[in-house]
Amino acid sequence: MIALIWEAAKALFALPSYQLPHLHEIALDFLREGAGGERWWWIMTQNASYTALESLIGFALGGVTGLVLAIGFAHSRWLERGLLPYVVASQTVPILAIAPMVVVWLGTSWFSKAVIAAYLTFFPVTVNMSRGLRAVDPDALALMRALAASSRQVFFKLRFPAALPYLFTALRLAATASVIGAIVGELPVGSRFGMGVVIINAAQYYNWRPANLWAAILVSAVIGIVFYHAVAAVERRVVAWSRTAPAI
Amino acid sequence: MGAPIIELEGVGKTFESRAGATEALRAVSLDVEAGEFVSIIGPSGCGKSSLLRVVSDLVEPSAGTVRVKGKSARQARLDRDYGIVFQTPVLYEWRTVLENVQLPLELAGRPRAEREQRPRALLRLVGLQEFAGHYPWQLSGGMQQRVSIARALALNPSILLMDEPFGALDEMTRERLNQELLQVCAETAATVLFVTHSIAEAVFLSSRIVVMSPRPGRIDRIVTVDRPRPRAEKTRALARFFEVVTEVRQSLREDTGLGDDRTRPGGSITP
Ligand SMILES: Nc1ncnc2c1ncn2[C@@H]1O[C@H](COP(=O)(O)OP(=O)(O)O)[C@@H](O)[C@H]1O
Ligand SMILES: [Mg+2]
Repeated sequence: MIALIWEAAKALFALPSYQLPHLHEIALDFLREGAGGERWWWIMTQNASYTALESLIGFALGGVTGLVLAIGFAHSRWLERGLLPYVVASQTVPILAIAPMVVVWLGTSWFSKAVIAAYLTFFPVTVNMSRGLRAVDPDALALMRALAASSRQVFFKLRFPAALPYLFTALRLAATASVIGAIVGELPVGSRFGMGVVIINAAQYYNWRPANLWAAILVSAVIGIVFYHAVAAVERRVVAWSRTAPAI
Repeated sequence: MGAPIIELEGVGKTFESRAGATEALRAVSLDVEAGEFVSIIGPSGCGKSSLLRVVSDLVEPSAGTVRVKGKSARQARLDRDYGIVFQTPVLYEWRTVLENVQLPLELAGRPRAEREQRPRALLRLVGLQEFAGHYPWQLSGGMQQRVSIARALALNPSILLMDEPFGALDEMTRERLNQELLQVCAETAATVLFVTHSIAEAVFLSSRIVVMSPRPGRIDRIVTVDRPRPRAEKTRALARFFEVVTEVRQSLREDTGLGDDRTRPGGSITP
């Protein structure tokens, strides 16, 4: 379907290949031999794996940070009032401006990219989860009180499970954001691996070989899509009790 | 009869909110003996839920004293002396039916064997043994409320507090659950404080009916129903049953200023 629209648009507006290459040109680019003698599908796979790993570590790092902040906020209004403005402000700064600084501070290794991925991950988790932890039915809380539950029990047996749907909504958003973060982190000079590096290089040779950049974009998108669906799959298992769990 | 299991003396409750103060209860005094089934009836907003919440220590009274089994209401709550059923089932949707009934045992740190066996026995008691593995949303409203009754019985409490537990159910389901509740009470020998706005339900279930009136919420009269319990379904068809229903209805009318005789004393009726 998309392929049809793609080729129709190309034919209809008579777009030259440097504006919109044929799909088969993009496909063939994966079979082309690169400078080092390796085929491009293999080069893409290696770099994509690298980026995926950075994203995954960043996702985990950001997820845990977000969770800890959310629990802190739900526990103490005082903490929330003190920290939330900074959490919000952190997201108003363009990631493109922050990424080079982080790379300068932490070096060009995978770690700096994971940190940038985490930077985009923790925010939706913090916001959604602290809301979920608070949005507990008053009667459900009254029941806990009537049953003389300790505050630990109230957290683990009521607040946390009740907030799980909120958490997973955030994690699905964070899954795609973490991939963007990792790729943005690979853009500054000095990085040697990852889809960000492939994209930068392909962009330099775009006029000569436009299909290469399109192929790189395609691969990057696939990483994000796979991440999203992985989270959604875990969600369907964990929140199986919910009628409102997403179908996709 | 022995010492009262629930003692309310001059209990008042005033809610302060931005809109102003609401006097939900004023000078409520009531003794409930062990084994009694006492219904609280009255128009909505007359403080029935507040009364139950004061007894269950979910809210603190603004005046007066509450004693449950000779202890403070707070101590009775911490000792898990009562089971409670709310108007809605309040089941945790991430727990199966069985796990919901296990919750009180888990929170009380009861041994594993008891956590496995007692909930199953209770589900059998309320006729839901086949639904142990279902999630709450897979059950009808009436079935969900039976689960919440089983949960309230999990720790074998000597007191059962119920706030319009069948209020949201259709008439037929309600009558069937009334019957089941009487059996459950007979088997567990629990003392019940039961809020309802159905006169027929109150008369069918209770040993005494507390009629309340609003603004401020207070006890207007107490009607004693001397017919032995548990009662059979056919009780509902007796002429005397309708007489008591009429009596209670009359009291409620007087409360709202619609009655004709405001001086008649609260009496005891033997259907
Ligand atoms: N938490 C609360 N805050 C403020 N007002 C309340 C609260 N709970 C109950 N009320 C008020 O107290 C009165 C009695 O309420 P309630 O005990 O729920 O009555 P009932 O159960 O008989 O309908 C009502 O006017 C109600 O609005
Ligand atoms: Mg009420």
